[in-house]
Amino acid sequence: MFTISMDKNNEIKLTGRLDASQVDKAKEVFSKVETSCVVNFTELEYISSAGLGVLLQAQKLLKDKGYDIKLINLNDHILDIFKWTGFDQLFEIT
Amino acid sequence: MEKSFARNINALDDLFSFLAKFVNEHQLDNSVAFALNLVVEELFVNMVKYHCDNPSPISVSLNKKDGKLVLELIDFNVDPFDITKTDAFDPNQPLEQRKAGGMGIHLVKTVMDDVLYHYDEHERISKIQLIKNI
Repeated sequence: MFTISMDKNNEIKLTGRLDASQVDKAKEVFSKVETSCVVNFTELEYISSAGLGVLLQAQKLLKDKGYDIKLINLNDHILDIFKWTGFDQLFEIT
Repeated sequence: MEKSFARNINALDDLFSFLAKFVNEHQLDNSVAFALNLVVEELFVNMVKYHCDNPSPISVSLNKKDGKLVLELIDFNVDPFDITKTDAFDPNQPLEQRKAGGMGIHLVKTVMDDVLYHYDEHERISKIQLIKNI
């Protein structure tokens, strides 16, 4: 189960498991982001390279426009994946 | 444990349930469970993506013995693709040069302690064996 929602303050909340079967849901929301945003990982349990690909594409598009994506509250397993792929250098993570 | 899965991204839920059953039976910790989910998803999705017209299911087997977790993914009626000889992914690339491809195999090789590949040319069977010390 995966859900994604964006609130009025441009914070995107992810919950559940972002695997290859769920990336279309994530793409749909990120495609609507037009300015800097925060992605809240508090309730995201799992992510694979398919999910990383969505974040990468969104970050590239926003950076081209002078904006960026910040990530908050990643669990230790997800943080490991970001380190192994160098994604911790592509995003501000707090 | 061994089970075959339809060559479809929508089979991932069944695949994760199969992995969860193994994790529970062997009381594996969260970090091993996460690694197991990650590597099996990455390889399964690659097999689906690169041979999408192939009607053959994909076989996944799991074993735990002597402090080692041994996984095998077997793909039938396919061309060879030796993942042990492929890792073009550079985790130090800047954002503007980044592409999504290659991350999955890089993660598999990072997470697992050993990755072995065997291709049976006569039967056209690819077998990927993954070993993790636990």
